[in-house]
Amino acid sequence: MATVSTDLNYLQGKKGLFSWIFSVDHKRIGLLYLYALITFFLVGVTLGILMRLELLNPGKDLLEAQTYNQIFTLHGVIMIFLFIIPSIPAVFGNFFLPIMLGTDDVSFPRLNLLSWWIYIIGAIMALSTLIFGDGPADTGWTFYAPYSVKTGTNVTMSVLAAFVLGFSSILTGLNFIVTIHRLRTPGMTFLKMPLFAWALYATSWIQLLATPIIGITLMMIVAERFFGVGLFDPSIGGDPILYQHLFWIYSHPAVYIMALPAFGIISELLPTFARRTIFGYKAIAFSSLAIAFVGYFIWGHHMFTSGMSGTGRFIFSILTFLVAIPTAIKVFNWVATLYKGSIHVHTPLLYALAFIFQFMIGGFTGLLLGALATDIHLHDTYFVVGHFHYVMFGGTGFAFFGALHYWFPKIWGKMYNAKVANTAFTLLFIGFNTLYFPMLIAGLMGMPRRYYDYLPEFHLPNMISTFGSWILAVGLILMLGNLIYAYFKSKEKPGRNPWGGITLEWQTQSPPPVQNFDRMPELPKNGPYDFEHKPTIKE
Amino acid sequence: MENKNLHNTENHKEHHISSYKDHFSTLLALLLLTVVTVVVSVFGADLRSLSVATALLIATVKVVVVAYYFMHLKYDMKLYTWLVVLVAVLFVAFTALTSIEYFNR
Repeated sequence: MATVSTDLNYLQGKKGLFSWIFSVDHKRIGLLYLYALITFFLVGVTLGILMRLELLNPGKDLLEAQTYNQIFTLHGVIMIFLFIIPSIPAVFGNFFLPIMLGTDDVSFPRLNLLSWWIYIIGAIMALSTLIFGDGPADTGWTFYAPYSVKTGTNVTMSVLAAFVLGFSSILTGLNFIVTIHRLRTPGMTFLKMPLFAWALYATSWIQLLATPIIGITLMMIVAERFFGVGLFDPSIGGDPILYQHLFWIYSHPAVYIMALPAFGIISELLPTFARRTIFGYKAIAFSSLAIAFVGYFIWGHHMFTSGMSGTGRFIFSILTFLVAIPTAIKVFNWVATLYKGSIHVHTPLLYALAFIFQFMIGGFTGLLLGALATDIHLHDTYFVVGHFHYVMFGGTGFAFFGALHYWFPKIWGKMYNAKVANTAFTLLFIGFNTLYFPMLIAGLMGMPRRYYDYLPEFHLPNMISTFGSWILAVGLILMLGNLIYAYFKSKEKPGRNPWGGITLEWQTQSPPPVQNFDRMPELPKNGPYDFEHKPTIKE
Repeated sequence: MENKNLHNTENHKEHHISSYKDHFSTLLALLLLTVVTVVVSVFGADLRSLSVATALLIATVKVVVVAYYFMHLKYDMKLYTWLVVLVAVLFVAFTALTSIEYFNR
């Protein structure tokens, strides 16, 4: 086995702020994203808790109606564009994709750094709406026309921020596609790649092909606001439904930019903690591509009640149901992976199991929204809010936390307190379901979304939901506190492979050296989850 | 690690060098198609509602010629051709689905 001498890990190299913010090392860039993302996530959580406080009781408690409108818009913009779209690819994709492929960096390291800088510039633009102009947009994160064309709030800066952030997404996607095609280690064919890499590959194609559409669409909003072109505003000959088409042509595939990487994480966690090969490797890999492809054609289901034609509704409803097939393939294969496995219950697995449970609720409630008859009743109610958060937070959010606990020992070379981590997980799980399940009930009862007030009959689900937000907040504080404490104080060294994983990142040091590997990684004989012939990993 | 380029035989392929004949043929085709576009729109073949479709069709042919010859798609890996086809399929699907919805309102 060839040995490459490495003295320093990536954390021990150059010191100082500039050595980080101008680093082209994919691992450091991954961590730059992580710190920025967590910061924005906490801002988004704070805004969410403020909204829940306002909704604790009927009537005005804490916020003016206009402030509430601006807060839910900013909450959406931050959580969608600054947290969940970049989340897993930008942090764990950047850090682990090259290592899992057995190479030393992404194909374009400088472009990778540029992506981070563009992300930061976009984030500053989005947050600047808090301070400059007439305050943050009050349109909702969807910027629906014609209201977005007419409102006096700072829509222009918000859409420009989303436009800039799109470039970061496109460049990251491009980088990953080229890296996967060009830099796989010798012997690693496409069908021997880890499923996380497959998920990132499918995601990257969506980022590359769909994001330009939202960029142009948002520029059309700016053109409409400044020049009154007549694109979307019906009073000057525009078509507001055209805006919705263009917006959702990107934004529905974007749901899969958010969800597919999470599927990849779950496909890594389950075999490691079940100590057996993944069930249906090819089915999971190709279903990622199928979801990415079919996901392009189903955007119309967001517009069933917007005045769309009956023919359009019929076609989009059928297409929507098609995407359930590859998604269900994944879930069945995950569950089959656990069957007769030697299950080791560690914190990351708990997050993976919670993901499956919550994502299933998110998926099934999605079927009700994809069906024309039920959607008429449920559209624009809290049912949609509950469904969306079950998919995005209960799914992708929990997968993100699972990945953070799974790879924490590899990233920082330290181990967190498992008992505290499990307690935090329990609080998060209870808090999450207490927060969002009542939203499904309130929606079924007919409570509309995006109002700061509601009728007295909706009081109970709203009260329970707000209590849930407090439990969730405590869980988040405990989880992050535990990880931060471990980072600064933990003396426990996890070694190279604390979980017994067999993808390549577990063969290198923790934290990895600057060049990623201190010795040539050894590929398992029959693919990345071959636990029967797993390579011997010596410390 | 030195494994970065070991397996990339594609990197070592010779690049195709186009002849002047190819370049001039491409230029000639583009000029010819531009003339056809102008003739159709200005000198008014009576196409009525098909005039936009005709202009788009000619523009599409020009795109194909540029991509295929001038941008070397013809001489590159087949994968790249498929990727361009994929983008075209998506574009057509977006336009078709939106149009079906619009014209049935």
